[in-house]
Amino acid sequence: MRRALLAWLSFGAATVALAFLALPVVAIFTRVPPGRLVRLLSSGVVTDALVVSAKTTLVAEALILLFGTPLAYLLATRRFPGRVVLVTLVELPLVLPPAVAGIGLLAAFGRSGLLGSTLDAFGLEVTFTQTAVVLAIALVASPLFVRTAIAAFEAVDPDLVAASRTLGAGPSRTFFRVALPLAGGGLVAGAALAFARALGEFGATIMFAGSLRGVTQTLPLAIYQEFSVDFDSALAMGALLVVVSVALLLSLKLILSWQPSRRTSVSLFARSS
Amino acid sequence: MATLAADFRLALRSFELSLALDVERTVALVGPSGAGKSSVLRVIAGLARPEAGRVDLGGEVWVDVERRVFLSPEERRVGLVFQEYALFPHLSVRQNVAYGGKGRADELLERFGISHLAATRPGELSGGERQRVALARALAREPGVLLLDEPLAALDAHTKAAVRVELEEFLRGLDLPTLIVTHDYEDAVALADTVGVLVEGNLRQLGSPAELVARPADPFVASFTGANLLRGHAERLEDGLTSVRLESGEVVYSTDPARGRVGVVVYPWDVVVGRAQVEDGSALNLLGGEIASVTQIGNRVRVRVGPLTAEVTAASAEKLELVRGGTAFVSFKATGTRLVPLS
Amino acid sequence: MKRLLGALVLAAALAAGASAHPARSSELTVFAASSLTNAFPKIDRSARFSFAGSNALAAQIKLGAPADVFASANMALPASLNRSRLCSKPVVFARNAIVLIVPRSNPAKISTVHDLRKRGVKLVIAAPGVPVGAYTVHVLKALKLTSVLSHVVSRENDVREVLAKVALNEADAGFVYATDARTVPRKVRALKVPARAQPRIRYGICVVAASSQKPAAQAFVKRVLGRAGQRILVSYGFLPRLAQRR
Repeated sequence: MRRALLAWLSFGAATVALAFLALPVVAIFTRVPPGRLVRLLSSGVVTDALVVSAKTTLVAEALILLFGTPLAYLLATRRFPGRVVLVTLVELPLVLPPAVAGIGLLAAFGRSGLLGSTLDAFGLEVTFTQTAVVLAIALVASPLFVRTAIAAFEAVDPDLVAASRTLGAGPSRTFFRVALPLAGGGLVAGAALAFARALGEFGATIMFAGSLRGVTQTLPLAIYQEFSVDFDSALAMGALLVVVSVALLLSLKLILSWQPSRRTSVSLFARSS
Repeated sequence: MATLAADFRLALRSFELSLALDVERTVALVGPSGAGKSSVLRVIAGLARPEAGRVDLGGEVWVDVERRVFLSPEERRVGLVFQEYALFPHLSVRQNVAYGGKGRADELLERFGISHLAATRPGELSGGERQRVALARALAREPGVLLLDEPLAALDAHTKAAVRVELEEFLRGLDLPTLIVTHDYEDAVALADTVGVLVEGNLRQLGSPAELVARPADPFVASFTGANLLRGHAERLEDGLTSVRLESGEVVYSTDPARGRVGVVVYPWDVVVGRAQVEDGSALNLLGGEIASVTQIGNRVRVRVGPLTAEVTAASAEKLELVRGGTAFVSFKATGTRLVPLS
Repeated sequence: MKRLLGALVLAAALAAGASAHPARSSELTVFAASSLTNAFPKIDRSARFSFAGSNALAAQIKLGAPADVFASANMALPASLNRSRLCSKPVVFARNAIVLIVPRSNPAKISTVHDLRKRGVKLVIAAPGVPVGAYTVHVLKALKLTSVLSHVVSRENDVREVLAKVALNEADAGFVYATDARTVPRKVRALKVPARAQPRIRYGICVVAASSQKPAAQAFVKRVLGRAGQRILVSYGFLPRLAQRR
């Protein structure tokens, strides 16, 4: 009797959880008729926001991959004094509230910030530019990639790396021919996580880059503005983001399932020790 | 053909590895796990840095701590075969072999009889096949020395025997200084001409298998080579023999000169087993006891009688009706009784 | 085990029930424009305030947010709610003026509104839906300075955000209410906008129809409109409401 009760309770709890997750998504799509949704999506505000989001997210993602990969490899394969501090620093933006990240960026790159006068001397103004958006997005999303990448590189059998060296391959050849391919799945997963986070970033962006249509107003910022002006327009953009996120998740699963069985296994939430 | 000379010190977790070794043909290092055997290979391959010493191959200096010389692994002409083979799982067999040097890939695949596996991934190979790929890969680089880390450990008992024979033939035909590391004395003896016993970072003895059996330098070596080891107190006798009072109380005799605390070494195949206490015969030493175990290994049987293990043919064991729980007597000659001083 | 389960179920039910009703049901909830952040709490210390851009607040009320009173920086928003029968007919309770603010250091050396035409000036104003955003555009149109809009680098959702960006010296100039500029005298300098260009700024207040505390809400409105409330508003720089024309 008790077992049946427990089974029903856990079934009920699971249903509640699923409904909670699904409801907002379903609501977005059901409130506005699909015809109107598509028309809303072609409105100026939406297309401008889409372009800004696409540009800034892609650039930020490229920067994250370019700088994050060697950093993750170094942190995964070398042990040196202060390594723990460095790893904590890399993971910091993950637990930092985005608003705090925004304030930090202002304090560093703003006109009266730490680097403000230096940038000014070079005639570089960062705030209120698309560059600012890229910086804000990259700061907030990078730990998601780096953390996963560190775990992926750590999961590569060190004997394989050693074997490559004894077979005549130097450190960089070993990286490209052994470490990178074997860590590939984890790197892709990390990149997808970072991309999703970058796409949805709001707090740091609005503080550091401001919000100007066609320049710095990303989709999340546009949603925030439109919500009190044209709710349906906000819904349409929300729907767009949901579709993009789902597509991202599905393609990630597909890519990971195509991987031939490797001797490395990566969990998206693996800890980087 | 060049000789590999290694003389170095390396601090390991619980002790220091200190080794001086010349590898001209095939040398096997045996020792219990944790003795530092794999570390020796790592130092020679360039994967570990010794605190002091030198490693060179026929004049080509790879490490010289005093002169601050240290060549990285890719700069040394080594061929290292890892214990679990470390084949690249994302590359095909041919790509694995070609990793060290494209030129010789096909030729090596042919030589090892694995050409038909060229396009397969390592994950689909059997243990024996993986070993061949690992060997081919190591040789593709045309190394100056071949290093094998526990070459037979990753194989199941069934495959092991066959592969050991193949490997031995192969090594004999290879004209390369080879250093093998293994915890199995029988493997070492089968594969190498010279065997070194490494215990807690020190080389206790280096010599031919026969030397190790005939004149073990110390108890470690003796027990490692499969001998019986009893303990007792020795005294020289007037007629040239040495009498040893064992810890268990009995007295045995040996032709080895020794005094004080000794280890008595007797090889199982030197021990004769009988059911009756017959003091006739040239064997001076006679012990009796309960048959504690009877283990068959192929056509041989190992019988444990009291403190000694004897090895007899299966036929003899059957004839004597040697079974667990029964009593038996073991005898062995004074000339077949080695004495090793104990500290 | 059964008892533990039962206790858990009971606790969950209580928690659910408790959160269905606001914990402090006797407290009044006032949604008010950001520019009232400093003045309103002085008028009623026991009420709960939610300060944001008036348009955001109106949107929330439309979606059913539990407000009792809505105080907007214009009349249009509460009037629109009234037409949808979401609140009572709005009443003017204060007036304000637009000023141009620059950071204390005035990096772009702006002394009048016309200086905004200078090259490279970074201007921050509110988004179109926010009342002060619309007022700003009115000012620029009246002064025939709409070209200056090309110098806008960010459109904020809240007048206090405009203030912050200028106060932090991130922007060269911004348009806010005179009352906002007064809150950070050491960080910004306020430049007057010609009177002829000033829009007719009238703050409207109404009682939300779905309020469960209408008497208390009406008392609050009365306090705002009364002498004491008006005195407080004026002390923060607001202009008093004009006498109601019937």
